[in-house]
Amino acid sequence: MTARRLTRDALLTAVALILFTVEAQIPVPVPIPGVKLGLANIVNVWAVCTLGAWDALCILLCRIALGAFFAGNLMVLFYSLAGGLLSLCALLLLRRVTTPRQVWVCAVFAAIAHNAGQIAAAVWITRSLAVLAYFPFLTISGIIAGFFTGLCAQYLLSRRLS
Amino acid sequence: MKTRVWLWVLAVILGISLLSILWARRTPSMIAGIYVDGECLRRVDLNRVKAEERFTVETDDGSNTILIQPGRICVEAADCPDQICVMEGWLPEFGFPLVCLPHGLLIQLEEDAP
Repeated sequence: MTARRLTRDALLTAVALILFTVEAQIPVPVPIPGVKLGLANIVNVWAVCTLGAWDALCILLCRIALGAFFAGNLMVLFYSLAGGLLSLCALLLLRRVTTPRQVWVCAVFAAIAHNAGQIAAAVWITRSLAVLAYFPFLTISGIIAGFFTGLCAQYLLSRRLS
Repeated sequence: MKTRVWLWVLAVILGISLLSILWARRTPSMIAGIYVDGECLRRVDLNRVKAEERFTVETDDGSNTILIQPGRICVEAADCPDQICVMEGWLPEFGFPLVCLPHGLLIQLEEDAP
């Protein structure tokens, strides 16, 4: 890993971490666990599209570990990890079948996958299928949030970075 | 694939989600089960509650104060960081199971009477 690559990944991790931490301060209007904007998804999508799977994974794992540390809650680590890894898989798969103008589609499915991962973690923790009742609600919120973060990422990708 | 195809796929997912929300919001019974990490602490028949009752559930990760009134139940207070379980309000009005994910607490209406 070159110094250039390391610096770039570290900067992106910092950006993702800031988005993640700031977003945690925004009160969520609906009392459904797991509903959120997922702003850090922007960094995720951008990293997958420009840097590739390996760098995106490093950024994701560092952001999740540090994010849980800043949130001061070990459970956050568990939920983020389940959601984050699944959404990264979705991004990597969809990346192959979409065009640069359909980046938002990747982000939407990444958001849905993130919610699916979180629900799976919740099922495992509560040892009950009752939390599955939230999934359709989370899917709808994921589509909306993913569309927004996806458009942000697409807009960023369309700019040439020097 | 064309963007229009993707839009259709998303529309179908959206439709299925909306339908399953409507389906899930029915109230199966008035018997509430209180669970911590999958273990049932107690069951309450909300129709038979006469007086208001308040009790605290202590878990390894924190505590939740549960309030039971005739015909309904809620999490009144919790020391979890997100307070989502408190915001969820009353069951059965809320329509979904009440959960406090940081503490592994779950309150749901039972499918059939025990």
